[in-house]
Amino acid sequence: MKNIVSILILFFCITKIDAQEFKADISYQYMYAKQWDKAIQTYNFSRPTISNKQPLFMHGANVSLSYIFKSPKHFKHGINLSYTNFTSLASNLNSTNLLLLHFIRLGYMMHYENIEKMKGLYIEAIIAANSSALYRNVNQAAFIYDDTHSKAFNIGAEASLKIGYYLKIKNNFYLSPFVSIAYAPYIYAPNTEAVINQTKSLSNKNWTSISNAQIGIAFHLKK
Amino acid sequence: MNRLKFIKHSSILSIGGILIPSAILSACRKEDLFNNSNFKGKVIIIGAGAAGIYAGYILKSKGIDFQILEASDTYGGRLGKIDGFADFPLDSGAQWLHGQNNIIGDLIHQTNTKITLDDSDEIFWFNNQLVNSLPKDINALFTREDNLPDVSFKDFAIQEGFGTEYANIVENIAGDSGAAASHISAYWKITEEENWISGDEDFKFEETYFDFFDKHIAATISDKISLNTIVSSIDYSQDMISIKDNNNNTYQADKVIISVPITILKSSDITFTPALPTSKTAAFSKIGMDAGMKVFLKFSTNFYDENIIGGSICAAYADEKIGKTGNSNVLLAFIMGDQAAYLTSLGSDTAITNALLEELDAMYDGEATATFISSYVQNWTTKPFIRGAYSFSTVGMGDARKIAAESIDKKIYFAGEAMNINGHHQTVFGAAETGYREVINILNDQK
Repeated sequence: MKNIVSILILFFCITKIDAQEFKADISYQYMYAKQWDKAIQTYNFSRPTISNKQPLFMHGANVSLSYIFKSPKHFKHGINLSYTNFTSLASNLNSTNLLLLHFIRLGYMMHYENIEKMKGLYIEAIIAANSSALYRNVNQAAFIYDDTHSKAFNIGAEASLKIGYYLKIKNNFYLSPFVSIAYAPYIYAPNTEAVINQTKSLSNKNWTSISNAQIGIAFHLKK
Repeated sequence: MNRLKFIKHSSILSIGGILIPSAILSACRKEDLFNNSNFKGKVIIIGAGAAGIYAGYILKSKGIDFQILEASDTYGGRLGKIDGFADFPLDSGAQWLHGQNNIIGDLIHQTNTKITLDDSDEIFWFNNQLVNSLPKDINALFTREDNLPDVSFKDFAIQEGFGTEYANIVENIAGDSGAAASHISAYWKITEEENWISGDEDFKFEETYFDFFDKHIAATISDKISLNTIVSSIDYSQDMISIKDNNNNTYQADKVIISVPITILKSSDITFTPALPTSKTAAFSKIGMDAGMKVFLKFSTNFYDENIIGGSICAAYADEKIGKTGNSNVLLAFIMGDQAAYLTSLGSDTAITNALLEELDAMYDGEATATFISSYVQNWTTKPFIRGAYSFSTVGMGDARKIAAESIDKKIYFAGEAMNINGHHQTVFGAAETGYREVINILNDQK
């Protein structure tokens, strides 16, 4: 993980030189994944001894980095990398069950801004490859069976639309509040139920769709 | 639009467009499947094994009226306990927890129950001598996932060049699935276990599996179990289902969960009105369940190895003391399939014990008979409401298990380890999964 982050920072530092715009976002993300809801609901339903129910994956924190290529036109394009983290924690007698869900998206971004017509408003559409990893921890330690951490890897694609507004802070530095919605129609998630409900194909399909909405703030460095 | 206006508008938009909807959606999304079930009817569960008890346990937690009718004089099904034979309790039925990633494993964590990994060593009785390893790795044959034919383990081993000297080793591998090597399908066993996600390690309870299940699950609903109630007929032709027992008592229910062993469903001990669809009865007949027994042999000394594999009378012996706190030297003879059928045919516990002692004497130069104290025979084949070990995948099985598990007319539901279509058949937690699955199905059908 450290290596990946280092490479990405290096990449953005180098490419920033020719960038039209370099952008970092932080946001709150609300997520709805029907099949994963179902897995957690089945887990809660089937274990009456759990007095504090396992929460659904709903509220997450997102960070994202974008690089927008130089272009004389209003319509620009770029790349976007984002990371979102969701947790679901239930503490009960003798047992604390923690589900950790990490998303990483790498996408192609279309960015539109028109100072004359739209003032500081900008619109972005992103098509991204979406991969995620789900881990289970029990009693503050990895839940291990057969010498491996209970985990599931998922992959799919996502489309999102973002609207923000530039607020100039310094010469090249802008802030922008933004809202965004996204939809992933198909996330292949064959082992998620196995991690959450400890079954396979009992409550879930091996894929899910995901809808999410974000609200956050972006930091822009423009040339 | 100036900047201040934009901030104002975007704040309103954000709150209105994201935060308020997410707050509303969050409130609508419930953590449980059925927070307010409107099912007000009565459920009758037939069979107080792991599946039936777990179904009752879930129904109780949801406040739904239910009753469990059990034919025998005790509950637990193929979970059971023997006290007094050794200085530690023995499992007369299900004994090992197969993997930890399952609903029972979860409950073990929650209750701080002590379990011990059973990683005991194996020794093989091969060509009439005890050896530490086999010339060829036969286990790999039955765990590979490609090009497995739909033939029996026995035939497959022969096809792959394992001669008759491996016959009892193959019986042991089949016996793990409660089957005779000539009955279980190489292809369907692997196919049906594709969804197995519990893990591969085996664990033993310090007390017994039955104690654990009883204390944490069964005891909470034992007042709802009617013992010695042998169901003879189920009439589901009317809105209310009418169930009769052998004493002509009638019970009325809105829904029935049948969780009896597959042998009982195959034998048509319970008559249905209207008759079950032929696809259903055909599916029952395709699910295998062979003879099975456990014989506990107590000795004055521990002359035997931890696991002895490949006997012709019993293909799997195991040191029962592993994972237990106690000093008694008890060797378990875990006998399945044709070997269990043969021993059953001997007709008495003494004859069964003598046959096993004779085999052990051959392995250990007469030490078995010389140090023998007593035996306890638990023959599941002759239990009138069990009649075997557990379900297995037969040659030509197809999707029989799936058809067998389907409900009928939103009235009759099927649970039990044989009805687990998620790879966890043959296990207690697999049975429990079908118990809650059928409660979910009932509540879904009520929507």
